[in-house]
Amino acid sequence: MNRIKAMLEATPGLYGYRVSQKAVQSYELFFVHKQLETVRSTDTLATDVTVYVANENTVGDSTFHVYASMTDDDLQAAIQAAVARAALVRNQPYELPAGETLQVQLPTNMADADPKELGRQIADAVYAADTVPGGSINALEIFLYRDTLRVINSRGVDKTQTMHRVMLEAIPTFTDREQSVELYEDYRFTVFEPAKLTAEIAEKMQQVADRAAARKPEGPLTLNVILRPHEIRRLIGELARDCAYQSIYAHANLHAQGESWQNGDGDKLTVTMKAVVPGSERSAHFDEDGAALTDTTVIEKGVVCGSFGPSRFGQYLGIAKPSGNLQCVQVAPGTLTRAEMEAAPYLDCVSMSGLQLDLYNDYIGGEIRLAYYYDGHTRRPVTGITMSAKLSDVLGGLRLSAETDVFGPYQGPDRALLPNVAVL
Amino acid sequence: MPFSPYLNSMRGHCRALVEALGRRYAYVSVLGTDVHAAVYRADRKTAMARDGEGECGFVIKLHNGRSFYEYACDDITGDKEELAARIAARVAPADALTDRQITTAPVADPPMVRDFVRETDFADFDDAYLLDVCRSISAELCQKDDKVLNAIGMLQPYTVSKLFVTKNRELTQHYGWANGYALVIYNDGKMVQARHVEGGDRLRDVIDATRAKLDDVLDLARHLTKAQPIKPGVYDVITDSSITGLIAHEAFGHGVEMDQFVKDRAMAKHCVGQYVASPITNMHDGAAATHSVASYFFDDDGVLAQDTQIIKDGVLVAGLSDLASATQLGTAPTGNGRRDNYRRKAYARMTNTFFSPGTDKLADMIASIDHGYMLFETNNGMEDPKNWQIQCTAEYGIEIEHGKLTDRYVSPVVMSGSVPELLKSISMISDGFTVHGSGFCGKGYKEWVRVSDGGPNLKVRCKLG
Repeated sequence: MNRIKAMLEATPGLYGYRVSQKAVQSYELFFVHKQLETVRSTDTLATDVTVYVANENTVGDSTFHVYASMTDDDLQAAIQAAVARAALVRNQPYELPAGETLQVQLPTNMADADPKELGRQIADAVYAADTVPGGSINALEIFLYRDTLRVINSRGVDKTQTMHRVMLEAIPTFTDREQSVELYEDYRFTVFEPAKLTAEIAEKMQQVADRAAARKPEGPLTLNVILRPHEIRRLIGELARDCAYQSIYAHANLHAQGESWQNGDGDKLTVTMKAVVPGSERSAHFDEDGAALTDTTVIEKGVVCGSFGPSRFGQYLGIAKPSGNLQCVQVAPGTLTRAEMEAAPYLDCVSMSGLQLDLYNDYIGGEIRLAYYYDGHTRRPVTGITMSAKLSDVLGGLRLSAETDVFGPYQGPDRALLPNVAVL
Repeated sequence: MPFSPYLNSMRGHCRALVEALGRRYAYVSVLGTDVHAAVYRADRKTAMARDGEGECGFVIKLHNGRSFYEYACDDITGDKEELAARIAARVAPADALTDRQITTAPVADPPMVRDFVRETDFADFDDAYLLDVCRSISAELCQKDDKVLNAIGMLQPYTVSKLFVTKNRELTQHYGWANGYALVIYNDGKMVQARHVEGGDRLRDVIDATRAKLDDVLDLARHLTKAQPIKPGVYDVITDSSITGLIAHEAFGHGVEMDQFVKDRAMAKHCVGQYVASPITNMHDGAAATHSVASYFFDDDGVLAQDTQIIKDGVLVAGLSDLASATQLGTAPTGNGRRDNYRRKAYARMTNTFFSPGTDKLADMIASIDHGYMLFETNNGMEDPKNWQIQCTAEYGIEIEHGKLTDRYVSPVVMSGSVPELLKSISMISDGFTVHGSGFCGKGYKEWVRVSDGGPNLKVRCKLG
């Protein structure tokens, strides 16, 4: 970092610079059924340098990668090439974030753990749930990461954030005489709680057993569809993206400030972009520019009330204090109770191929791999069905649970009810 | 542009590291990568000229006669005995896991020394020219119609150099690919996006082909503003080559990645030798199967590129494997071991995946449908190889009525259902053939690699929503 910084400081004609350096150490275990197939470890450093050049009331920038292979001469040549590239780029001027230093470690209980031993403990916690007759975990991948991100720039920013995080991918499977079915699940956490992990996998083991028993319901249905946090996060993320500075600046956003997403008598959405959601690997104290992050409410009671994003595009829009590029999202709890949810037939979607959203075409839908269908009397697992609806219709009558959950970068209601959805 | 001078200078270091680790492990390979990418982009207000997703580093793969180990790092210079000891320590499992490691046959290491090169024309173009091309695409689109809110022109060339060294092999490869994009954000009472993507290893051709499609992009945008939602139902469908490729890739390709066979995650494992599609259906995958974005010379396990026929006359005949899965299954690897980058594990992955052309004329296929849809342009898809359910999203469809394409567009269109039912419903296959080299494919929700897919037009019957 010091070598790069010295070269940049000595480069004439720069409006500014930014250096982003991410060191990643990983320890990875790959299981096939219960056997260990591959052990991996990585020790890498990714360095990106951005140079900024002022030119007749415009600013140009260009980013290049620095590799371990680069000599001083290579680096000097790369800087000069980037300066020449940046001179070709003539964007509306903006200022780089200024003068803050920070050194922070995100909360974790894994910082002092031996990766080998921690990996074993995580594997044991997962396989402890492999107790359902007929069930098995056919594959398990465990990734333990220690990330250290440092961002400096020419205006005195020097910030470092260290994070310990785990990503694991487990494949709960159920096999009987007729068939073998699976569900795909990934888990990401920064605090390891073995009992919680075992409980979550155990729930999936029960669900995959239910998938084996699931049948396609007879005939098309129109009913309330319930989404869980994985899909709620996707839905809210799409709505939030419409509030991003870049979308607004590019004229790609659908709703301006003061316009409503929801015309109906459902629970009104209040969405806040956040820097930190406890336990989320997307939590951060600064963004890729080294800019400080300010939690920002973008939708209040269904109405667009704010915007968020990188400092540069915030400045373009005349935002006095840009939020920074926030990655986490919080949704205020709603009013839906379990009794209300069960007052009418519903389809509780446990696993989807992927929630399909098209804001421009006012569409929401997707293939459902496992859901629980409640017909007003009994609740049974179903599969092989597809839902589709007009997004504006379901947002109008949207109901959000009072109970909340945390899933990845999402914190908010653990159930969302979409009214009158067609299921085929 | 020649093979990476840096990797060329590292051949000796790789050989020395193989030798040092060879005293501890039965099989050692070192893969060095040096990938340079650039992004040129312009829209109505902003421009960009910068490095794209590149990489430069090493991944060492080890087999101790029992199971596999990998270590990825940026630099392998310095004392090799010390590095070998550090690698061995870093990849060791906890003592409690050693008795749970798999046992496989030894890894073969047939002798071979080859250098592969496929030249590009990228060096003929400088940054200023390429950025100007992007600006002109954006400006032209904006000028053609005042309902264009914004327009983007983008070029993304990248060049790949890889060096693969084992005790008995030393391989190098060097090639490139470029994609060109034209995209509009358009508002005529309804906001839509329309785009065109080109790919090739000659930037001149990519630029010319992208420019030639600007009117088509605007025409599509105009139609999409009038597009209606489709009434969910089961329809006769004609696929364009992009949707054909999406079916090949999502519906079937993921299910024949043989690391999924090892994990009992693929229905296809039990269907080799059986009819899985209509008897007129043939499907291939391989880096050597056609010329497109995934046409490398050897894979990230050092296995030479191949052309694998997956479905022959409707019967499943073969799957796709990386070194680890082939070793566990006792089969020969098919050249499909691919990594997101040197930091990531190699898995069995698709490359260029397509259905073979048939003998029908597209016009006859459309004429054979009383009411249905022709689907265009991949949006996304999701695999389910264990349960053979599919979800493939097309950007739009055009209604077919009484054997003719109408002017009625629907968007978006989600195709879903059972893979065998879909493939067995293939009743006509056109004599056309296009492979689209602009795709990225994940495994689950990670491990992104560049892929192509495509083929002819298919007539199928399936559920649309």
